[in-house]
Amino acid sequence: MNNKNATIHIMLASRPKMLSEVIKSMVEHQPDMEVVGEVLDPIELLTAVKMLSVDVVIIAPMEIKGEPRICVHLLEKHPLLKIIILSSESEAGFLYQSDAPVLQIKDPTEQAVFDAIRRSLRK
Amino acid sequence: MADSIRLFIADDNRLLREGLVTMLLEQDDIVVIGKAPSGSDALEQIKRLRPEVALIDIGMPDKDGIELTKALHQDAPGVRVIILGMIDLTEEIMQCIEAGAAGYVLKEASFDYLVETIRSVHRGESFCSPQMTASLFSRIAELASEKIPKTQNDIKLTARELEVIHLIAEGLPNKAIAQKLFIETQTVKNHVHNILDKLQLQNRLEAVQYARERNLLEKK
Repeated sequence: MNNKNATIHIMLASRPKMLSEVIKSMVEHQPDMEVVGEVLDPIELLTAVKMLSVDVVIIAPMEIKGEPRICVHLLEKHPLLKIIILSSESEAGFLYQSDAPVLQIKDPTEQAVFDAIRRSLRK
Repeated sequence: MADSIRLFIADDNRLLREGLVTMLLEQDDIVVIGKAPSGSDALEQIKRLRPEVALIDIGMPDKDGIELTKALHQDAPGVRVIILGMIDLTEEIMQCIEAGAAGYVLKEASFDYLVETIRSVHRGESFCSPQMTASLFSRIAELASEKIPKTQNDIKLTARELEVIHLIAEGLPNKAIAQKLFIETQTVKNHVHNILDKLQLQNRLEAVQYARERNLLEKK
């Protein structure tokens, strides 16, 4: 996403469905963001990111132990991609990106998550 | 607003909890009056706020959904509980029903389905998906078959019980039966109790009549 006014394209990788619908609804309420796809497993995610123009992947929930392999794979192939993982163990979110260290979103409210996405893309 | 369903949400997943609150704002007939990230917090708030319907996550820390539902059933009996579950497991659903839940919705269900469940439960209905209903009926049938009085062919009296019933039919009292069988009188009483219990009869006379009707006495 090079244009600062362009829509941020988001891919959702979230289960269960109710949580996925909630996150999708939150994204849809952001004027500058759009959900371009939803996937249910890592293989689907790798394929979808390859096929579609994706700026951000939101994965929720996931158990965080070090840098998840899915992030390593995705960032290797798509260095401009930003990945948000919402932890299943604690109320924490993590932003993974290839050009900066992992950013922890300690209090991942809707606003905090979307602000982190915007900052990471527009820096 | 006055006719809105007063709803409480208890879920430890912050995003889901907050997100549901936001999404439910768009429903004219539902108003979220409170929310909590844990079972104990939810219990305190629900007792105070008295919502009409409580949406409760089954897997919360410190007091899970089933424990919380039991507590609410006792402390806030007017609150109708919908459990948010993760898996379609009959035993788990049965536990929820036993605890007093009026509805069970999987988190794999859609938001629209959840909203319909909230409305149904508020109307006084009990609600779960057709798939869950089918598995519940199977389980209920299993449980019922364990409780239904068995047919005569299913009932197995032991050889000793048959001996006892035969001697009862001869008109002997427990003490005489005990002497005849070289056992304690109390043991005879136990046998009689077991016979009546197995045959679901009230007294010795009924037991004798039962045995006569089925030719059990002639087999001796």
